[in-house]
Amino acid sequence: MNEWYWTAQAGYPLLATLQWLPLAGALLLLIIRRARLAVAVGRLFAVAELLVAVDLYLRIDLSTRVLQFAERVDLLAYHAAADGISVLFILLTALLGVLLSCYGMARQQITPVHLLGVLLVIETSLMTMLTTMNLLWFAAASAVQLALVGYLLWRWASASEERLALSRFLQYQLFGWLLFVAGSVVLVWSHVDVVGSAAGRWSFDLFDLLATPQIGKYQSAAFYLLFYGLAIRTPLFPLHGWLPNSAGYGLIAVGPVLLLGVKVGIYGMARFLLPLTAEAVMIWQPYVVAFAMVGVFYAALLAFRQANLRRLMAFAVVSHTSLIVIGLFTLHPAGLQGALLLAVNFGLAITVMLMMIGYVYRRAGTTNLDRLGGLFDRVPFIAIAFLIGGLALLGMPGTPGFDAVHLVLEASIEAFGALPTIATALGNVAAAGFLLWAFQRAFLAPRPRDLPARRIARTGAMEYFVGGATLLVLLVAGFYPEPWLQLTDTATQALAAYFQHD
Amino acid sequence: MTELASWPLLSTLLALPVLGALATAVLRRAPWAQWLALGSAVLTLLCSLLIVVAFDGANAGFQLIDSASWIAGLKIGYLVGVDGLSLLFLPATALLFCGAVLAGWRVSATASPLPPGLYFALLLLLEAATLGVFCALDTILFFFCWELTVLPIYFLVSLWGIGGGRQAAAVRYFLVMLASGVPLLFGLLALAFGNAAAGSGALVFDLPTLLDSPLAERAQYTVFLLLLVGFAAKVPLVPLHTWLPALAMGAPAAVTALIVGLKLGAYGLIRLAIPLAPVAASDLHWLLAGLGTLAMLYGAVAALAHSNLRGVLAYASLSHVGLVVLALATFSASALQGAVLQLLNFSVAGGGGFLVLSFLQRRSGSTDIAQLGGVIRSMPLLSGFFLLFGLAGIGLPGTSGFPGELLIVVAALHSHTGAGLAALFGTVVGAAAFLAPFRHAFLGPLRNPDVAAAQDLLPRELALLLAPALLILGVGVYPLPILELLRPTAEAWVAALAGL
Repeated sequence: MNEWYWTAQAGYPLLATLQWLPLAGALLLLIIRRARLAVAVGRLFAVAELLVAVDLYLRIDLSTRVLQFAERVDLLAYHAAADGISVLFILLTALLGVLLSCYGMARQQITPVHLLGVLLVIETSLMTMLTTMNLLWFAAASAVQLALVGYLLWRWASASEERLALSRFLQYQLFGWLLFVAGSVVLVWSHVDVVGSAAGRWSFDLFDLLATPQIGKYQSAAFYLLFYGLAIRTPLFPLHGWLPNSAGYGLIAVGPVLLLGVKVGIYGMARFLLPLTAEAVMIWQPYVVAFAMVGVFYAALLAFRQANLRRLMAFAVVSHTSLIVIGLFTLHPAGLQGALLLAVNFGLAITVMLMMIGYVYRRAGTTNLDRLGGLFDRVPFIAIAFLIGGLALLGMPGTPGFDAVHLVLEASIEAFGALPTIATALGNVAAAGFLLWAFQRAFLAPRPRDLPARRIARTGAMEYFVGGATLLVLLVAGFYPEPWLQLTDTATQALAAYFQHD
Repeated sequence: MTELASWPLLSTLLALPVLGALATAVLRRAPWAQWLALGSAVLTLLCSLLIVVAFDGANAGFQLIDSASWIAGLKIGYLVGVDGLSLLFLPATALLFCGAVLAGWRVSATASPLPPGLYFALLLLLEAATLGVFCALDTILFFFCWELTVLPIYFLVSLWGIGGGRQAAAVRYFLVMLASGVPLLFGLLALAFGNAAAGSGALVFDLPTLLDSPLAERAQYTVFLLLLVGFAAKVPLVPLHTWLPALAMGAPAAVTALIVGLKLGAYGLIRLAIPLAPVAASDLHWLLAGLGTLAMLYGAVAALAHSNLRGVLAYASLSHVGLVVLALATFSASALQGAVLQLLNFSVAGGGGFLVLSFLQRRSGSTDIAQLGGVIRSMPLLSGFFLLFGLAGIGLPGTSGFPGELLIVVAALHSHTGAGLAALFGTVVGAAAFLAPFRHAFLGPLRNPDVAAAQDLLPRELALLLAPALLILGVGVYPLPILELLRPTAEAWVAALAGL
């Protein structure tokens, strides 16, 4: 593997800026006393972060497979670099940061400044995960992120269900994190073993690990540990147990968006798991795909039975994540590209839907479908934004989901044949059924008597901005997907090259 | 003429309603939104007429082609063009939408909490997507427009529909269309894969290339059956028609006119399913003929049994499209001409019929046959128009329904005698299915005070109905120009099938 240093491409260390900027913003928020100024500063930092991410996008050279903007500090084993895949996820993260900083909150459990600060630190940890080339740095940043989301859940926990959600979340995530770290250790240890203890040194760096030949004996073990560690985060059926609870209680948008909007689990699979354990991936591919196909249906079925909009969304996520994993494990360039685009598309779509659910909650005080209804008359914009998000989940033409699903299906037909692919696509349609049903119940059904029309405030300016910006990105990317396809093209080709020995 | 043809007419045609929809959606005041919507619909109609003028009738190939690169990474392009078969659907669609906008003049004002322009914006969006289906020469662009038609209909029905069942009807429609989109997309993908396997190795989605390079025989069966299932739900053919009656009852009248009048499913069979998989299609002709005959008879009998005029018209449309599918199974040029003519005829006659029913609904509050009676006494003009549209529907000589039906039945008797006889029988039942409810609802004693007090057609409504009525009579008396316009392409279509 080759890399270009940042000095060759930009006047400043771009990736370090991406990681430090939000952190600096968070520290600044600690100092500022006046709340309004602090909120403005926090938003300013989120916007600046987005600008840096756009700068990265403009500067990256997409014609080569070389990793770019590399930075190294050997003492700390710090090693960051970027390719098209990471840039795609970085852009998404920065965009979500801006949207969330403008989203605000309904229940004032902590001050807005406090929330913004936590948000910025989480953004830093996400940026570190998306740029680092080192397994341990990835794990460390992941721990910081999970701890902060756990902190948010803890601050919001007032009822016993919320405490239960919190403990479920912590148990699952801690377990997943340990699996990931154990997998890394197994991997590195067997690399040292293969190379010989004289030449080998304990390095968790992706470049070093790829430089030595693939390990034989322990590869399946490493694959399983890493895969399950990431799968719990993603979350993938049948390891999704934490999600419905923590999505059903606690924060509505900020926490879930940070966990689900940026699919770092998927990113981790593409960046570390697939290249590092390529042989084991090819061995275990059918099993992973079979589980994912079951997951599409299982989650779609369970979603039908939910009476709460937030729990329903959680199952929708599980159902669609399975589709992404199917795309990833086609191990075919088109499928990989489709899966990554799908991950970003779902991230955006889930974000807009969760934020709209949050707005509904602010008006109605509930997300229970039985107690909602008739919102379309009062807040048509929120309803339409929710629906377009849902259609993007479905892969409707006109949203980026269509191109991504198209790629995944193309690859899936080639890798697994037509029948399982058709079944999967039908599972996707089943998912459409419950989204549409939820939309109808919440927005179009007759309004319940205890929800008078005057209690439902009209859509506010900030709400128009947050929803409108997301929809704009979704629709533009849907009607003109060429830039995103180009962005990920060479990087996914490079990734797929690991699986084309024959 | 050449200057006219060098202008990107088709792209203009697609852009006009989209721009109109965007402008209408943001307007705050209802009257402006209405006029703007009508203006865009009329401009679109004029543009479609320009296209007919610029079209070279002697040429059987695709014309007025516009292309642009769209998603180059996936080899999906923006490619539009028309040939003789698709040409006339453009003005028919545009005309239908002009009527729908006018018929919805008051609808948007009643549902006050919603943005006033939304109704018209959705209608115009639907128009753009429909025109896109008729012009698309890239299979994925076709699918894209195809799926885009579903969403406006869902909203139009669930927000402005009639009765309590409308939301369930809208969801059912949406889900059936979405589920049928899966085989359709897979059919198109299988086509691209089959093509890649047979030739260049790269996935291709543009129709002219796909038509030039025949598929391997085995792949053709897969493609044909997948596409058939995908289109059959939209046509609708009998086992997949369950969304239609509920939707016809629940949708606002103008939207019902559109859903019933736009024959996208049958067009899909003509444009994609049969020519792209010719061997499979001619081998499975019995399937097409059987499905067509079944739909035709079932539609006629169900129309006879229905107690609401809207339901009667909806089932009558089922019966008509069944006849068209039977015509396709004969693989003869004259039957294909008849089929296209029949589709156009029902677009105009069925659309007109639903408009009349919307006027009637507004006056009497119902289109239930039992609630009506003696309509002709208080509203002679309205009844007269309904009779004319109905007679055109059953194919009376002198109306535009006659030549199409005649061509189809003759060809069907020649190639599928049994099915032809059944079709003949079906037309008789269809005639009864129209005349019996007409007698109960429009003739006979006055039973409903609302009907007795109602006013006949207003000048605005009269003007609106006059255009389709004149078209029906004009084409009925002198159908030759249209048949001639269809002939070269129809012959080329049949020749391509026979050559394999």
